[in-house]
Amino acid sequence: MMELRKTLTGRIALTAVATIILLFLALPIVVILVTSFSNNAFAAFPPEAWTLNWYKALFADGSKWPAALSLSALVAALSTVFSLIIGVTAATALTRSELPLRSAVFALVLGPLLIPQIVTALGLFLLFEPAAMLGSPIAIALGHTVLAAPIAVLILIATLRGIDERLEDAAASMGAGRLTIARKITFPLAAPGMIAAAIFSFITSFDEFYIAQFLSSVDTVTLPVRVYNSLTFEIDPSVTAVSALLTAFAILALGLVALVRWIGSGRQQSLLSVENTVGVANPGGDAV
Amino acid sequence: MAATLTAGAPARPRKLLASRRTRVGILYALPVVVYLLVLFVYPIFSTLFLSLRNADGSLTLHWYADALTGVNLSVLITTLRISAETALLSLVFGFLLANAISRLKPLLAGLAMLVVVVPHFVSALVRTYGWIIMLGDKGLVNESIPGGPYQLLYNELGVVIGTTSMMLPYTVLLLYGVMRGVDRRLLAAASSMGAGRVTIFRRIYLPLVAPGLASAGLLSFILSLGYYITPALMGGPNQTMIATLINQQVTKENQWNGAAAQGVILLVLTLAGLLLVKAVTSLGASRKKRSAT
Repeated sequence: MMELRKTLTGRIALTAVATIILLFLALPIVVILVTSFSNNAFAAFPPEAWTLNWYKALFADGSKWPAALSLSALVAALSTVFSLIIGVTAATALTRSELPLRSAVFALVLGPLLIPQIVTALGLFLLFEPAAMLGSPIAIALGHTVLAAPIAVLILIATLRGIDERLEDAAASMGAGRLTIARKITFPLAAPGMIAAAIFSFITSFDEFYIAQFLSSVDTVTLPVRVYNSLTFEIDPSVTAVSALLTAFAILALGLVALVRWIGSGRQQSLLSVENTVGVANPGGDAV
Repeated sequence: MAATLTAGAPARPRKLLASRRTRVGILYALPVVVYLLVLFVYPIFSTLFLSLRNADGSLTLHWYADALTGVNLSVLITTLRISAETALLSLVFGFLLANAISRLKPLLAGLAMLVVVVPHFVSALVRTYGWIIMLGDKGLVNESIPGGPYQLLYNELGVVIGTTSMMLPYTVLLLYGVMRGVDRRLLAAASSMGAGRVTIFRRIYLPLVAPGLASAGLLSFILSLGYYITPALMGGPNQTMIATLINQQVTKENQWNGAAAQGVILLVLTLAGLLLVKAVTSLGASRKKRSAT
């Protein structure tokens, strides 16, 4: 009885601590979302009155937010294209070929994710400054791709590893050529992973701050740099609305990734079940 | 050529296939290798060269001497201190949270992990701004604690609260993985032999998760070293970190050599930390193997 009560108190204490830590993670975001609709955008919480003014101010005449938003969107779109090209080819090389120096290539891919972004940013600044490319969307996108491409490569490696190679073998045994297999089997199964890689590349570039800060010029700044400047040098309450939109965007993107993954897993399952009912040879033997 | 191919032994086509797969591999690996050599490796080496040169191009260690004295040294010490405080706190919170989640039923655990993962993908700027609103004189925290307002912003307390919340998702994810990997049968076995809960925790559980704890702590330490969004926005002048200094030297003072030297110091600290992580992880792997046999 004593023992039971002890376990129960322990469990309650543990749950309470865990809840507080979860609040510690979630509250800043909740506070931003609520404050963006608050009449007083700086302190009082919970708000005394509600307003949509900060959202209206975003698109008012002379607002600097639309320019920053469109630059960030352009940069992120370019960076997504670069990352996908690099990601698809690199992941194919690392999973579907015999690559000499394989672990060296893999270490190179992990490099930008492990070393401080400020160091990468400084190096890129030294590269682009002499070329007079500061403030150029291409330069910022090329810089962001250094961070986004490794993430795309990792996601696509996981995707290609997850595709049951028996499906490709089965198609080959039925006389399909390499191109047909790529087009009709591998690509449709890899498509969800490619969409996920594209979304993560886009978010990585869209949110990136250190490289954008170094490669921006005075009059071309990306959205995160704009937000940072707004929080450091001036008082512009519509930054709450921008922050709330960025949050909504991140949550939406994550939801989209989850949805695409879920559809993708269903697709492979249905192909595999067709294979099993038809009774194609199963060399691995693990599904039986 | 065609004749030798057709006349080849049965092993021949296989070898041909292998070399084709190698050629395809090299061809497909080219984009990422070339890209990262030009836009990642080369810029880092040019940073290194710049940190070792005077304005006239002669070799010097002057910039390192400069980076390790006076105000620059105190910034470096502040960086190390704030990173250590952040790592320690995110390790403690991460341990408590990951441990609690690993005991939950799958559905609840999934929901809790969602609360951990979603903030991680929301911009650090936004989350920092959320903290600034929350910790202000009339913010949520000061309003709910009697006896205030307390100074929670623009000092080291504010910085450490902010950076800890940024690093916490990493430590929780890492530790959750480690804790899920602990073989529960070992704990049950110890219990069946009469060991108490404290003994099981201290003698079985802790040694098994210790390497995970060490690498999670090191990881959040390394990630904090090069970080400045939160310290710059939530700290005062005494919380300037090395990354802020690099940024100021380049953008305000046009002092590239000094910035390069500080970048290299940051890089060396990070690489040393990563080597430690690697050593700790391989130690963990061998320990796990031993306890299972």
